[in-house]
Amino acid sequence: MGKSGCIKTGWSMKMKIQIKTTLILLTAFLSIIILFSGFVYLSVSNYSYEDFYKLLEIRAVTAAKVELDKEGSSQELIALRNEFFEKLPQEKDHYFRIYPGYSFKKESEALRLPISFFNEVIQDGKSEYNKNRMFYKGIRYKSKQGEYIVVASAENYFEIHHSAYLRRTLFLAIAAAFLFSALIALYFSRFVFKPLRKITDSVKEISSENLHLRLDNNMNNDELTDLIRTFNNMLDRIETSFETQNNFISNASHELRTPLTAIIGEADVSLSKIRTIDEYIETIKVILDEAETLDRKTKALLFLAQTGFNGKNQKFDQLRIDQLLWDVKETIEKINTESLIHIDMSLLPENPLKLKVKGNEQLLHLALSNIISNACKYSNNSIVNVSIGASDQNVFVIVKDHGIGIPVNELKYIYDPFFRASNTLKYEGYGIGLPLTRNIIRLHNGEILVSSIVGQGTTVQINLPVGQTD
Amino acid sequence: MEKTVLIPTDFSIASLNIVKNYLNEQPSHVRLNIILLHGLHQTDSITSLLFYSKTRLLQELVSKEFNEGCDVLKNKYASKIRSMRKDVFSGFTQAAFNNYVEANRVDEACVPILYNPQFNNKSSFDLMPYIKASSLRVECVGSGIDLPIPEKGKVAELFFNRVQVS
Repeated sequence: MGKSGCIKTGWSMKMKIQIKTTLILLTAFLSIIILFSGFVYLSVSNYSYEDFYKLLEIRAVTAAKVELDKEGSSQELIALRNEFFEKLPQEKDHYFRIYPGYSFKKESEALRLPISFFNEVIQDGKSEYNKNRMFYKGIRYKSKQGEYIVVASAENYFEIHHSAYLRRTLFLAIAAAFLFSALIALYFSRFVFKPLRKITDSVKEISSENLHLRLDNNMNNDELTDLIRTFNNMLDRIETSFETQNNFISNASHELRTPLTAIIGEADVSLSKIRTIDEYIETIKVILDEAETLDRKTKALLFLAQTGFNGKNQKFDQLRIDQLLWDVKETIEKINTESLIHIDMSLLPENPLKLKVKGNEQLLHLALSNIISNACKYSNNSIVNVSIGASDQNVFVIVKDHGIGIPVNELKYIYDPFFRASNTLKYEGYGIGLPLTRNIIRLHNGEILVSSIVGQGTTVQINLPVGQTD
Repeated sequence: MEKTVLIPTDFSIASLNIVKNYLNEQPSHVRLNIILLHGLHQTDSITSLLFYSKTRLLQELVSKEFNEGCDVLKNKYASKIRSMRKDVFSGFTQAAFNNYVEANRVDEACVPILYNPQFNNKSSFDLMPYIKASSLRVECVGSGIDLPIPEKGKVAELFFNRVQVS
């Protein structure tokens, strides 16, 4: 029930992204088209207005020539005018004689034109005015009788016919473009999200039962290939951690059972018949010993579990890593008097502030002493070099021994609890130390790198981020 | 006393060991400008030159470990090092190299005794012939034996590979 719900929300989310892409594409297309057609419409109508005024001006001049000048050639002009000049809708011509000081107030009221129109004609020689669909062009004309204002007016045919046609065409074009771009956007978003859908489908097939399955990688070196690769890497890690988990349980139960078997066996044997007091003491000593081992193992396990959590209950302070190392050296020398630890300061930074890290002293002490005592143990107490250095981001602690090393193919298991390399049989240990150390280093956002050559030695590099110096 | 030293590098930690050995041998009053020089033949196509950026080129060539190693050295020898930079030389002729040396006011070169650079990039080339043919004073440092060590390629390599003074 819950599973199907989950898939459903995933589906709707994907649909949402797909629709979103379509909409974004569509808006982009549409806004470009609308901008484009708006520009076309405005510039065409602007051009036609100017064109119409020019037409009116020619009409006005011709009319003035015919009506006012009445020259010899005017007969031909009239003929020409009648033949070629198509009558404009509601075309009218008006003539007003200019007298100095006359204000044209009456005329402007009669024609419903503003008085400024006439003033402009007198001043500049021409003027334009339009109201509703009527267009007026006034010019100043010098005839033989004197100066006149000639006003030609007509209804703009463009406004009536062409403009409507242009609008209709543009709207149709926009509608067609909308449909077309909607199709493109839909196809495009489908096309883009198709591989994603494929990935989702194949990921759905992978469950904890068949973790070995991987997504197949078609070799187009694009972002989705990256995604697939990342996904496969994640699956690798998950698979390993699943295996580790399985190993851990079997290892842990084995480790815990060994002392228990010894205790039970010992008790069984001693109970089989009456023994002397000395024998009982011996038996109980063995049992106590084994019980103590069991206790140590459980404690170590518990600690491992605790450090595996997010370090919320640990207190972090500023501490200097070199001081810590000297402490660790002292502690180890107290426990194992034969150990030879050489702390190498040759790359110590000149500025001691760079050696400060933010961390929990007990935990780091534990981690470092684990590593260093391991180095002593597995090199039969030959010299162990510990050196410190710092870059601007990290403090490095490097522990190098000349011990037995770790076989290459076992290096990846060293952080598994209870794992012990094949060449460690004659050394004591449970295999808790390194995983514990790694947990601690991880708590400090650090990194631990182990490299080794069998028979030559092991180098452990610990990087801890430099603490803020404020 | 201030001087500029040129050290050929293949951007491996091993080559930083040369820098460390060289710095160890310098008296404490010197201030050094260190140029870590890498030989790299570069493309001469117009389009790649259009988007050429040395910073990006170096970013591709130089690993994070190498940068960290440089920082460790800079912190250790903070008072000896005035500057330390990585550069790429892509000339073909000895004259170009001499020019580079002159332009950067290089006083001496430092080369390892045992020199076998491992180049990751196939257009990288060995700078050694140019250095030997130039008029630079050449200092040889390092040891003559190359032991396999576990920490190859890690920052850790910088820490223990000290010259065995016999």
